[in-house]
Amino acid sequence: MRGRLLLLQIAGPALAILFGMVISSIIILAIGRNPLEVFGLMVRFSLGRTDSLFSILFKSTPLILAGLAVAMSFRVNLFNIGVEGQYYIGAFFAAYVGFSLRGLPAAVHLPLALIAAVLGGMVWGLLPIVLKLRRGAHEVITTIMMNYIASAVLLYLINDIFRDPTQVGTPRVRTPDVAAAARIPSLAALFSPFGLTGSDVQKLNALLLLGVLLAFVLAFVLARTRFGYEVRAVSANPEAAEAAGIPNARIQFWVFMMSAGLAGLIGLNDILGFFGYLDIDFPKGLGFLGISIALLAKNNPIGVIPAALLFGFLDRGAQGVQFFARIPKETIVIMQAIIILAIVVAYELLTRYIRAQRKLEAEAAAPVGPPAAAEAEP
Amino acid sequence: MSDLFIELQAITKRFPGVTANDHVDLAVRTGEIHAIVGENGAGKSTLMRVLYGLYQPDAGTIRVRGEPVAIESPRRALEFGIGMVHQHFMLIPVFTVAENIILGSEPSGALGSLRLREAETRVAELCTQYGFVLNPATRVDTLSVGEQQRVEIIKVLYRGAELLILDEPTAVLVPQEVDELFANLRRLREQGKTIIFISHKLDEVLQISDRITVLRRGRVMGTVDAAGTSKARLAEMMVGRPVFLELDHPPVAPGAVRLEAERLWVEAGRRQAVRGVALAVRAGEIYGIAGVEGNGQTELVEALVGLRPIRSGRLRIEGRDVTHARARAIRLMGVAHIPEDRHRRGLALPLSVWENIILGHHYRDAFVNGPLLDRQAIDAFVRARVRDYDIRVADVDAPALALSGGNQQKVIVAREFSFEPKVLVAAQPTRGLDIGATEFVQRQLLEARAKGMAVLLVSATLEEVLSLADRIGVMYGGELVAEVGRGEAGAAELGLYMTGAKRSERPPA
Amino acid sequence: MEVLSSLVSLALIASAIRVTMPILLTALGAVYSERGGVVNIGLEGIMIMGTFFGAVGNYFFAQAFPSLVARAPDVAPAAGVLAAVLAGVVFALIHAVVSVTFRVNQIISGVALNLLAAGLARFLNILLFTQATQSPGVRGFTPIDLPLLRDIPALAPLVRGISPMIPVGLLLVILSQWVLLRTRFGLRLRAVGEYPLAADTLGVSVTRMRYAGVLLSGALAGAAGAYLAVEQAHLYFEGMTQGRGFIALAAMIFGNWWPVGALGASALFGYFDALSLRVVRLPVPYQFINVLPHVVTILVLAGFVRRAQMPAADGVPYSKEEE
Repeated sequence: MRGRLLLLQIAGPALAILFGMVISSIIILAIGRNPLEVFGLMVRFSLGRTDSLFSILFKSTPLILAGLAVAMSFRVNLFNIGVEGQYYIGAFFAAYVGFSLRGLPAAVHLPLALIAAVLGGMVWGLLPIVLKLRRGAHEVITTIMMNYIASAVLLYLINDIFRDPTQVGTPRVRTPDVAAAARIPSLAALFSPFGLTGSDVQKLNALLLLGVLLAFVLAFVLARTRFGYEVRAVSANPEAAEAAGIPNARIQFWVFMMSAGLAGLIGLNDILGFFGYLDIDFPKGLGFLGISIALLAKNNPIGVIPAALLFGFLDRGAQGVQFFARIPKETIVIMQAIIILAIVVAYELLTRYIRAQRKLEAEAAAPVGPPAAAEAEP
Repeated sequence: MSDLFIELQAITKRFPGVTANDHVDLAVRTGEIHAIVGENGAGKSTLMRVLYGLYQPDAGTIRVRGEPVAIESPRRALEFGIGMVHQHFMLIPVFTVAENIILGSEPSGALGSLRLREAETRVAELCTQYGFVLNPATRVDTLSVGEQQRVEIIKVLYRGAELLILDEPTAVLVPQEVDELFANLRRLREQGKTIIFISHKLDEVLQISDRITVLRRGRVMGTVDAAGTSKARLAEMMVGRPVFLELDHPPVAPGAVRLEAERLWVEAGRRQAVRGVALAVRAGEIYGIAGVEGNGQTELVEALVGLRPIRSGRLRIEGRDVTHARARAIRLMGVAHIPEDRHRRGLALPLSVWENIILGHHYRDAFVNGPLLDRQAIDAFVRARVRDYDIRVADVDAPALALSGGNQQKVIVAREFSFEPKVLVAAQPTRGLDIGATEFVQRQLLEARAKGMAVLLVSATLEEVLSLADRIGVMYGGELVAEVGRGEAGAAELGLYMTGAKRSERPPA
Repeated sequence: MEVLSSLVSLALIASAIRVTMPILLTALGAVYSERGGVVNIGLEGIMIMGTFFGAVGNYFFAQAFPSLVARAPDVAPAAGVLAAVLAGVVFALIHAVVSVTFRVNQIISGVALNLLAAGLARFLNILLFTQATQSPGVRGFTPIDLPLLRDIPALAPLVRGISPMIPVGLLLVILSQWVLLRTRFGLRLRAVGEYPLAADTLGVSVTRMRYAGVLLSGALAGAAGAYLAVEQAHLYFEGMTQGRGFIALAAMIFGNWWPVGALGASALFGYFDALSLRVVRLPVPYQFINVLPHVVTILVLAGFVRRAQMPAADGVPYSKEEE
């Protein structure tokens, strides 16, 4: 049973990805191209070049954080669709600490910037969770509204208040440069001895390590600690958890804050790891990708890592396909969405199948007699 | 025979690992009230679901008025004139009586517009014809349980049913409502309807039915005339051995007051659900709370265990004021709680059996090591519980949802009886359990009493309260309207309190 | 004082009515979906599809039948609306299949739908117009004057030269209220949203009713999108829905899951939307004026949700086999 279960668990995502590929193939065929060629190109471009491999890791870094952020909220039955807005604000907080303070040592300045990012995310998550717990306002809608408001706030802050004075008169709308001490160190030094250099190697930074570390820490916390146990209990049945003396609302609140705090870090890959300033055109939409990644990973922190890598791969592959085959990279965006729809269906069917199997086994093991549960609880 | 409405021949229905109906023969005559009795799990409900088209039999034939038929769906069953009155009402609370009755076969005009006036008239006619008292324009959520049951019955009659299957119809009724129901059923019989009456309450079965078929473990033990049999004989047929229906209830000298409520007021939404309830439960006694469900028992229990805020009044446990304490603090003071709905409040079904066994104990020093859970200590504890309470589970890592209902309740009992609780609040602890599991739980309650726990037992089953409790309080409309000692009042008198027809002259202190 | 009077001017109210429409139509759709027990967060995505297909349907119809359109110019926008409604229904069908048939969590399904819509609109736009974010301009319906009311001079801005979709939308509110309360369809739809098992035992197909509710929501949200593109902006551009699909959900909640209530709530949001459009001189940076409706949405949800009476089985997948 165990072995078969594991196989089934893997079969779910595999089938969903396959289904996503089939639908994308239909789309590619419809625009008169050969899907096999396109997928071949995608794989060759993404996996056959070292710069692509580094680029995938770079692209995956914020996706790991975004996936973790969304997954944590899902773990307590909350839908934090506001990861998007939370990372805008976190990015600004970090950038502000980065450009407004000068002369601090990196050992102080960088942690300060990271903490600021976490706080920024939390600040933006606070209102939705308080309104949810206190007033019952649906967090899906409030967090989405907060995303729009975050956009406006960011635009206002960057354009009207903190615009880099040296850029006024140019079309660039961005903050001043972040102090070098607040920038996240590149990992390039690790690879240069092997002759691996180039801009994509240079971009890869230590935030990746932090993201992976956080994934493992969260997995450990959930599995082994009392807090993690309470989170799982709240997730499995909030009312039973409450009856057992677990403060439901408090757990939801703190896990949501963790989610928002993690979200705050997402933007740093680009802001502190690459550009060194916050531009009005910094990468957006990562929070929404986080939803897909959390779903793909079934809210398992470790599972978030391969899921993020897959999306990083798809994103990089899309660039290659667009550049070399002149197929819009949106094809891949559609594929991602289809994969998500397929994966949630696959997981649902799988869960039901496993539950039915378990029931069968339990009933087969039970002493002879009609099923008591079926009799008494129609 | 032409006067047979239904004839089942050798009906067999298997579920994985179990044969729920094994070559069942049943013949129901037109115009009779035919009872089907058997323990929980004997296969009564399965058989009725086969008849009502919810299940397809694996073997056997069904004849309706002599013709062999296949009943693929409830809709088809209705075409044959077979209607079912469900034990759990299938009523939409925010709809009116008439809307509930016509749903699915609505009188309608152009563009699918409803003819509500016509529907109400038709419902009123049916009520008059069969002697039911109901206002078709009332919203169902304002009706009493007995009235809701009438709506269910009319619903079936409205669809032209000639045969009515009533599944445990008296389970939710107080004695007076049972009498009314029986009067209604007799009237239906007079008008030529056929009734199948499913029950395990033998007194009622003997009172209402013409003939009785007994099921045991999926097989028919026989069909007898009600006039020619007795309770003892039926019980023996049901269980397969002579049975003693009384539980051993040795006298225990009650000790100090452990749980004390003073003029408790508790809200549910904006409604005052509990209105000034005062009670005291002593060590070594079972205080039973009887009452029709929905009269504030749920809210009272939740308030007592810290799950619902107390608006006013005082709650003391062992003399300490816990009026505003949270659930965890109350648990740690030694209050155990068997919740009324084990799937909702009692278990986290997707979590493993071991995780459910420590639920609510997991914050005890014994199980934590700094912020970490102490898996070794937990494993030892879980193994001991599984052994002591005979929880049938192959693997404690399996999710609790894989357990049978009885085993799930054992997990809860095992958990709640751990760490020597001083007070036990048990709400509907035997609901939905088969006879073996019910006996197990009831024996545990008596054992708790013998060990000196203060037990508060809330049950919708009057017999359970009567057989277990040392004192009985009756709740009606959120108030404790009566309090009697063991043996001081019978079912009939308690029934009067339960319907609000009577109040104790001296309200309990 | 000047600010105050500009806050209640007839012109502003007329503008508010115009921008209320897309929110109202989507909110009406949400009422159908949720009365049947299915939460449809994907309405935003469906609206996006509506904006895109509204513009595209309109544009290509005019290209394909120039002579017909020259004689009857309103046929092209009508074709756009029709295309948008169809696209909305197709998209809603995905939601129905995933969340009703496969019983996947309805929020998740809806969120995925929104992601899909955003990508699909970009992709199709590239295919058709070689760029991702904008369609060519299209012509809207010929504005109409409301009969009877048009002769009252005081009401002129409200009843003269308005989009024909406005009176249609208002009629749909009344129609929907009647459908839900007084028809067989409405009774059954509400039944499966309140207690699907009860409806099922009476032979009402829960699946069929829930599909109907979801598909209606798709049709209405599609029409709402078409209104934005065809009647308001006269083109499709990326991000033009600005979260109105979500705002409509809030309007439905605020309107207590009834069409007439949704009208009132949508009007409230429409009013603030109109304020943000007209850049009334408020002492606030312009970026914030734009998100006024979003702020109001949060306030409304925070203030009024508790009083609402939502359908008892809203958001809960129904399955016969499971207990």
